[in-house]
Amino acid sequence: MALFEIFDPKAPARPIGIDLGTTNSLVAYVANERPVAIADCDLAVLVPSVVAYLPNGDVVVGRRAAQLAAEYPRDTIVSVKRFMGRGANDDETRRLGPYEFVPAPPGEPNTVRFRVAGGRIVTPVEVSAEILRALKAQAEDELRTVGGAVITVPAYFDDAQRQATKDAARLAGLEVLRLLNEPTAAALAYGLEKKEKGTFAVYDLGGGTFDVTVLVLDNGVFQVRSTGGDSQLGGDDMDRALAHHILAELGFDPARQTPQLVRWLLDQARAAKHELTVRIDVEVDVPGQRRFSISRARFEELIWPLLERTGVACRRALKDAGVQPEELRGVILVGGATRVPAVRRYVAGLFKKDPLSDIDPDQVVALGAAVQADLLGGQGRSDDILLLDVIPLSLGIEVGGGVIDKVLPRNSTIPCAARATYTTQEDNQTGFEIHVVQGERELAADNRSLARFVLRGIPRMPAGMARLEMTFNVDTDGLLSVHAKELTTGIEQQVTVKPSYGLDDATVEQMLLEALDHGEHDLAVRLLAENKVEAARILAATRKAMVADADLLEKGEEALIEQASLELHDACSGDDAPRIRSRIEALDDATKAFAGRRMNRAIARAIEGRRIEAVEKSVEHAKGIEAAHAADATRGG
Amino acid sequence: MDPFSTLGIARRYDVDLAALEKTHRELSRALHPDRYVGASASERRSALAKAVDVNEAWRILRDPIRRAEALLTLGGVPVGENREPKADPSFLMEMLEQREALSNARRTRDLEAVHRLARAIRARSDETERELSLEFASGVSEALLPKLGELRFYRRFLDEVSAIEDELAA
Repeated sequence: MALFEIFDPKAPARPIGIDLGTTNSLVAYVANERPVAIADCDLAVLVPSVVAYLPNGDVVVGRRAAQLAAEYPRDTIVSVKRFMGRGANDDETRRLGPYEFVPAPPGEPNTVRFRVAGGRIVTPVEVSAEILRALKAQAEDELRTVGGAVITVPAYFDDAQRQATKDAARLAGLEVLRLLNEPTAAALAYGLEKKEKGTFAVYDLGGGTFDVTVLVLDNGVFQVRSTGGDSQLGGDDMDRALAHHILAELGFDPARQTPQLVRWLLDQARAAKHELTVRIDVEVDVPGQRRFSISRARFEELIWPLLERTGVACRRALKDAGVQPEELRGVILVGGATRVPAVRRYVAGLFKKDPLSDIDPDQVVALGAAVQADLLGGQGRSDDILLLDVIPLSLGIEVGGGVIDKVLPRNSTIPCAARATYTTQEDNQTGFEIHVVQGERELAADNRSLARFVLRGIPRMPAGMARLEMTFNVDTDGLLSVHAKELTTGIEQQVTVKPSYGLDDATVEQMLLEALDHGEHDLAVRLLAENKVEAARILAATRKAMVADADLLEKGEEALIEQASLELHDACSGDDAPRIRSRIEALDDATKAFAGRRMNRAIARAIEGRRIEAVEKSVEHAKGIEAAHAADATRGG
Repeated sequence: MDPFSTLGIARRYDVDLAALEKTHRELSRALHPDRYVGASASERRSALAKAVDVNEAWRILRDPIRRAEALLTLGGVPVGENREPKADPSFLMEMLEQREALSNARRTRDLEAVHRLARAIRARSDETERELSLEFASGVSEALLPKLGELRFYRRFLDEVSAIEDELAA
């Protein structure tokens, strides 16, 4: 177990960045202030996101699993990311594929379940955890001990998909430092490389997901203005379009093929797509059937509708950001599917400039994630760089008539919170049925349902008298929690929104315990280690604050803080986790007032700094306003 | 909360969005949770609460509808669709017709018609916003509520247009 090595002075735990992709995954870290991808023993950096469950009970991940897919099409899960946070009845689950799905037992969430070799049932979260475990092992080979991880997700992932990703990471025994949006990670890698300034768009077409993000780079701050996309659109769909085309050419019915043929066809289609990036036609040879050729032009015709779908999202993202294509400094290409020449042409036409792709589009996301991991968990340049991200889809509540009331609009900067109050519609209503949804459509039924719960025990009152206050909180991972309170009685309920498809904490804990050799003992060791790490961090931060803002310390305060620090330091030399915890809290109490004063000073400085700058730049600003109005006027198109 | 004071500007409907975005960025630089990863729990909590306030202020002020609502609330005029007077019947009738035209265009998959309807509504929305800005300049009062209501109708219409664009492209 790596846990025992946390305090090995020779090998400090290194934070890592993971790109958990639809087709390939990879892991990177920062060495000598530069992000590098970690290769496996064969010097390969990309790990195919493929997990094979073999009849003998073995679980194989990566390249070897990909090779087994043809032999075990049902037992080898490819592109599992497309099923993350999805229901068994979603359209996605029913597309062309070789898998066998089983329904959820009654009373359990209706999540996707694959039946694999030996009748074993696995969920997308468990399959993804296998991939993450393999990546973690690969990183450990290189770094010996791995600290926390930043894991990337498509910007357009909804709450259920994010939650599922976080569950998978916890199941793999990874401490999640942050879920980071893939386009933002890519921009971070690019922005640092080139010390850029200005407004950029990131066009990220991966194996199974499409994202577009518009962001402003300003003096180390990466501020996302808008994001859009389609979490069910990617290079896989090109393969599928091509496979359907081949089946049609042969006069076969796509719905009535064996898993072997489907897997084989999808693989052939992918190979043909790759070849068509460098050649203008390819031959496809279906065993027992005639050979035929597919031209690049025909392929481009087949994928054209997919490109148009990305165009809709791009135009919307530009509009939401209030930016014209001409105002962009650059467009960054991310994702393997952007190697397709038609994609590049399409992007160039859409944004009216040649896109940038000088960082390997397969690696750029992981490299950016490694930089963010270094900032959050290591010794990175955290004073210079900051990512300000947004929620991709509006969050709301279903109100009368099935209509949704948007509590937090899309593109709200995170972390964020909002409150809204509602009243009862009927006399003597004793409960509120609360339905939390995510999406842009007017009717709740057309959006993604995140959670339903009932706030009960409200005394009988005439309609409109009871008042329900809903508070939405979205954290820096983009994850939502909802708090409901009836104001006249004070009845409350707190929900972390994940019951639809996620795992609850107890389930994850149980699965973790089962996965570990010594169960509870290891968890206790881990808890102690985590407390010690936190204590060391807080002691260092406290010392730093006392030096930086010594003038804000009140009389006698310094001695109290010193005393509490000393006691925490003492506790850390022992192995009593609860004792360390209580001393951390005591130090926290001692520094509370001082921390408040420091915060106020930071705010005053930020606003004051802006005022001085604002006066200096007032002429420039006046120009800026005119330009903005002009842009508004032409936005009608 | 007063979003204007959170971002350190005067209470006015007309705001310099570029300058405001800069202020928001600088405040985020000082308060974002990522700046406090190693800090004590209370410092982290207080920074988080303030970062959330700053983001909320920015979310409200950048949006013409939420900004108007904030100004009215701060000026003692309650807002919220249940507390405001009902919209003018002729306006409602006209909106109903526009919505019907939109759903017809959706049914016949006529993207050109969808865009034409959207352009007209967007122009009216811009115009209403300009009028609102002029009226706010001469004071906050209940008389502004109907215009705010109109803006909400236009917003919902344009949101539906976006959804239809997605649907027709898929």
